[in-house]
Formats: sequence, structure tokens, C-alpha cells
Amino acid sequence: MDFTRQQFLKLALAASLASIGAGAALAQQGEILVGATVPMTGPLSLTGKQYHNSLRMAEQDINAAGGINGRKVKFVFEDTQASNGTAVNAFMKLSQEVKPSFYFLSSYSTQNLAVSPEVKKIAVPAMYAGGADVVAEGGNEWLFRVRPADSVSAAGMVEAAKLLGAKKPGILFIQNDFGQGGAQIAAKLLEAAGTPVVGMEAYGQNDKDFSAQMLALRSKGADVILMFVYPQDGALLLRQAKMLGMKMPIVTSSAALVPAALQLISPGDLENVSGVVDAYMDPAAGGRMKDFIERYRAAYGIDPDPYGLAYYDGALIMAEGMRKVGTDPKALRDWLAQLRDWKGIGHVYSYDAKGNGVHDLAVVKAKPGTKTFELVKTITVN
Amino acid sequence: MADFIQLFVNGLALGSVYALAALGFVIVYSATGVVNFAAGQFVMLGTFSGVAMMVNLGLPWPIGYGAALLAMVAFGMLFFTLVYLPLRASPVVTVIIGTVAVGIILQNAALLGFGSWPFRLTSPLEGVTLDIAGAVITAHAALTVVVTAVLVGLIWLLFYRTALGIGMRAVAQDMEAARLMGLNVNLLLALTWVLAAVLAGIAGLLLGPMWFADVNMGDPIALKAFAATIIGGFGSLPGAIAGGLIVGLTELLGASYISSAYKDLIAFVVMILFLLVRPQGVFGERIQDRG
Repeated sequence: MDFTRQQFLKLALAASLASIGAGAALAQQGEILVGATVPMTGPLSLTGKQYHNSLRMAEQDINAAGGINGRKVKFVFEDTQASNGTAVNAFMKLSQEVKPSFYFLSSYSTQNLAVSPEVKKIAVPAMYAGGADVVAEGGNEWLFRVRPADSVSAAGMVEAAKLLGAKKPGILFIQNDFGQGGAQIAAKLLEAAGTPVVGMEAYGQNDKDFSAQMLALRSKGADVILMFVYPQDGALLLRQAKMLGMKMPIVTSSAALVPAALQLISPGDLENVSGVVDAYMDPAAGGRMKDFIERYRAAYGIDPDPYGLAYYDGALIMAEGMRKVGTDPKALRDWLAQLRDWKGIGHVYSYDAKGNGVHDLAVVKAKPGTKTFELVKTITVN
Repeated sequence: MADFIQLFVNGLALGSVYALAALGFVIVYSATGVVNFAAGQFVMLGTFSGVAMMVNLGLPWPIGYGAALLAMVAFGMLFFTLVYLPLRASPVVTVIIGTVAVGIILQNAALLGFGSWPFRLTSPLEGVTLDIAGAVITAHAALTVVVTAVLVGLIWLLFYRTALGIGMRAVAQDMEAARLMGLNVNLLLALTWVLAAVLAGIAGLLLGPMWFADVNMGDPIALKAFAATIIGGFGSLPGAIAGGLIVGLTELLGASYISSAYKDLIAFVVMILFLLVRPQGVFGERIQDRG
């Protein structure tokens, strides 16, 4: 069969177009890319490592269960380090180069606030675990929270303070959106309960010595101290409180009670310490909780924390949404927005109009002489 | 009163660490004209030397502290040989940029070597407290103040009572004249860097039990040591001590009696006030260039 040059060129063009079409069709059937901007280095990596591990575990589990209607998911990670600027850059890099169908953002509210306008611009759903209420109040319909908001945590801490019989509570908080927001909510709740705070002291993210703040609260007569902290400074605060001979009970926000923080302190530092945790993670609960904890320990050699569990639950919610409505951003967003009573391992998730999916947490108390905690009560705030 | 005593001693302990870091700053600056922007990372390296010896290798503390300081001696020599010596003939700004680069390298090397999770470095006096007029003082804080005081005394003896120290001061004043007088300038400069590294190492070992060992801990230390040096007088040894103590005390007393929200601001406002009112610092001398 003889070809003219013109026929040959036409055939070559047709073959090229066909291969492009086939490629596009293959790409449609290929991996579903999911972006994850996580603090993997720097001081915030203390908890960031947990989300990284949990999302990797979720990726394996989703794919082992057949993926998303036969397509595998692939998580692409970018490091947010400890700055808002890096968090924005990490997100921009993913959105421009990888173009994922879904995002998981950092659990640090200041980073979430910085990234929020970019998420809105590209209009792809994203889950985050930052607690600050101001993130949800921003009205970004593409953001979905997988942890209790700080108002829920503050309510839990106030409940713990009440259980301790606080008459003159004091508050110590990290000076950022999370700390200030949580402290102000707690102060209002305490005032409403008839026990207004005797003092509120702040510290900076890079501070390493808290004696001035703690002694100031003690001199004001605080009989219980509520702390809104990050993991590393939370651990240091608990340690320095004991070094300063502080005797009053301390109620801490969840970050000081994650395994990453607990490895830095001794059982003595936890004497008289209560707090809230997003989810009470006890293998004794059995079922999926036991399975998650044991598999996580086996895979990464450390105990999982509730923040990581929130991301794991979030990834499974995302997978179910994709299975039901596909990867179209709008359809997926709308599916998430109407999600009610979805039973995760850590929580039962129901999204409200502001994208808050978790409305409960646990109040815990350190068991004397150990670094383990007993459940005092769970609380739900709607 | 008890709270004041507690704050005062804690401020002194923190100020002592700043003072040691500032001393390293001043010794290097006086001898070489170089502002060591890696001073904070030198301190971080000191803490992590302790972590490596006592936490990772499990050495008992007397041996662990000694080994950590020996590591800092080796680091000082290495820094002199690999960074300062090759750059010495270049303009001083090149050496300063070299210290910035070394600071970044040290921080990232520590990150690669130890990871981003902090370590707990315990004190030999862990859990021991002193009761002074109702104030609970940790023995470690008291030890920090005492160690600094002893070191300051030793450094004074070195610089003013030994031939070696007098030689180092001579190099600091006029390197060429010192060379012409037959002094081994290279050896004396190497000793200067080793001394700065060892002081930073001691500061790091004292700081470890007060904070956690964290690869990012160098930055706040460097900032405070720099403020201490400005307040005390750039180039002045007594100034470094006074400046360190002023910053430490201002930080804690200011946070307690003025506002904890502006803790760092208060310390740096004091520094700016010094720059405006007494730019030569507490112990510095006014130097004017003639036009």
C-alpha cells in the first residue's frame, strides 16, 4: 500500500490526536491526587508529623479498599514549616503544579487563615484541623473543619475548671489567633458561670520562660490556671510550673497532652493536671479505635494523637464523598456541606453552615504518677 | 516578696545564659572585628552536644558534660580552620556573611541529625529546689548564676593575668603590631574562636534543662545576646555580662510588672533607648571618627 506524503502526514496527525485522547482518558482513570500541606519541619512539626503519618495510612487504607471506584488516591505533601508565608507557598505550589482534587491543610489556625483566600480562589474543597473560630467565621464555603473549634475546647476547659471547683481562675495563652480566641471565649464562659478570671497572661510563640506569667497569675490569687498552648510550649509550661512550685490545678488545651508533648515531660510534671483532648484515644474502647491505634503504632513506632486521627477520619470522609459524587469540586463541596452523623473513629461528624464538623470532646485528668489519662467526661457543644 | 525573689533569680539565670552568649559575641568581635551571626547556633550546638553525649550515648553527666565541651573545642577549631582562616583576607563583611551561612548550615545539620522533635536534657540537679524566703528556686537556676560568675572570673584572669590572654588582647587591639612583636597571631585567633565556642557550649548546656533542646532555639538566644551586647557596649567584656543580666531581668520583671504581652518588646525597647541615649552602651567607650 503506497502513501502520498500528504496522506502520511494526515495519518500521523490522526494517530497523534488519538494518542492524546487516549492519554487524557487514561489520566481520567488514573490516580486521584490529594494535596496535603503539613508542617513537617520546624517547631510545629511536633504534631505535623502525626497528620503526615495518618494521611499516609489513610491513603494505604483507601487504596487497599479498592480506591475510589477503582481509581487509587495519591497524597502529595508539601511542608508548611512554621510560617504562614511558607504555608501559602506550599498551597500555591500544589494548586499550580499538582492541581489536586482535594486538600488537607495544616492544623495551625494562623496558617489556615493565611491560606483561606487562596482556597476560595481555586474553589476546591479543603479540610483543616485548626481550632480558631475566626477561620470558620470567615465564611469560606470551601473549608471544612475536622476538629472541635476552639469555642468547643474552651467550653470543655471551663467545664474542667468547674469540676475542680475553681473560684478564681486565671488564663495563660499563646499570643495568636488560637490562643487569644480561646482565652477570650473561656473568659466569657467563666464570667457567665459566676467565676470571672482574676488575670489573663500572654506569651509569644518563641518564648521559653514563662515564670513571669505564671507568678503573675499566682500573685493575683488564681486557684486554677487554664492554658491555651501548642505542644512544645505546653510541655515546657507544665514543667516550669512544677519547677516554680505552683500547687494549683492546671487545665490545659489539647496540644499539651498529645504524645509529642508528653514525651518531653515526666509524670511529676502532670501532677494535678487536667485538660481536654479532641478524642479520648484508648485501645480499651476496642473496635475501630483499637485497630487504628495498634496499626498506627506498628507502622510508625509511636502512639497516634487525636489530631492525626482527625485527618484520618477526614480522609475517609473525603473518599466516601468521592465515591458517591466523584471529584467535581462543587459536587464534593455540596456533599460535605450536607454530611450528617458520619461515624468516624474519633467523632461523629456533622457539618454546620460554617463548616464545623466536630462538636464534642473529652475532659481528661492525669493518673497520678503516670503519663496516662483517665476520662472525666465527654461534652458536646452545638 | 517571694514572687519578686523568684523572678529575680530566674531573670538572673536567664540573663546569665544571655551573658555567656554575649561574651562569645564580644570576644570574637574584639579580636577579629567580626560580628558572629551564628552565635545563637553555637549555643544550640552546645545543647545538642549535651544531647548527643548524655541522651543518645547515655554517658553519665560529668563525662557527658566534659565530652560535650570537648566537642565544642573541636568545633571552634574547625570553624577557625574551615571558615575564618580562608576568609580572613577578605573584607570583614565576607566573614560576617560566612558566619550567617554557617549558622544556617548548623541549624539544618542539627535538623537532619536530630530531627525536628525537641529533646529533654536533664540537669544534674534535676528536681532539687531551694526555698529562699518563700520563693522556690531551682538548684539549676542557682547553678547557672554561679557557673556564669565563676566563668566571668576565669575569663578576667585569662585576659588580665595570663600571657595568653594578654596576647589575645594584643591581637584584638592591633593584629599587625602583635605579629611584629612575635606573637603567634593565628594560634591566638584560633583560641579566640575556641573560647567563643566553649562559652556558647556552656550556655547551651545550662540552657538545655531550662528549655528543651530544640534545633530552632538559637534564634531567640542570638537576638537577646545581640541586645545584651548593644546594652552593655559592643566590644566590652563587663558590658556583655551587664547587658545579659539587664536583658534577662528586664524580660522577666517587665513581663510580670508591666505586661506579659509585650515581654520581648520591653527588652528591645530598652535596647533602642540605649542606642538613642547611650549608643556606646553601659561600659563602652564613645568613639568618634574625624572627618
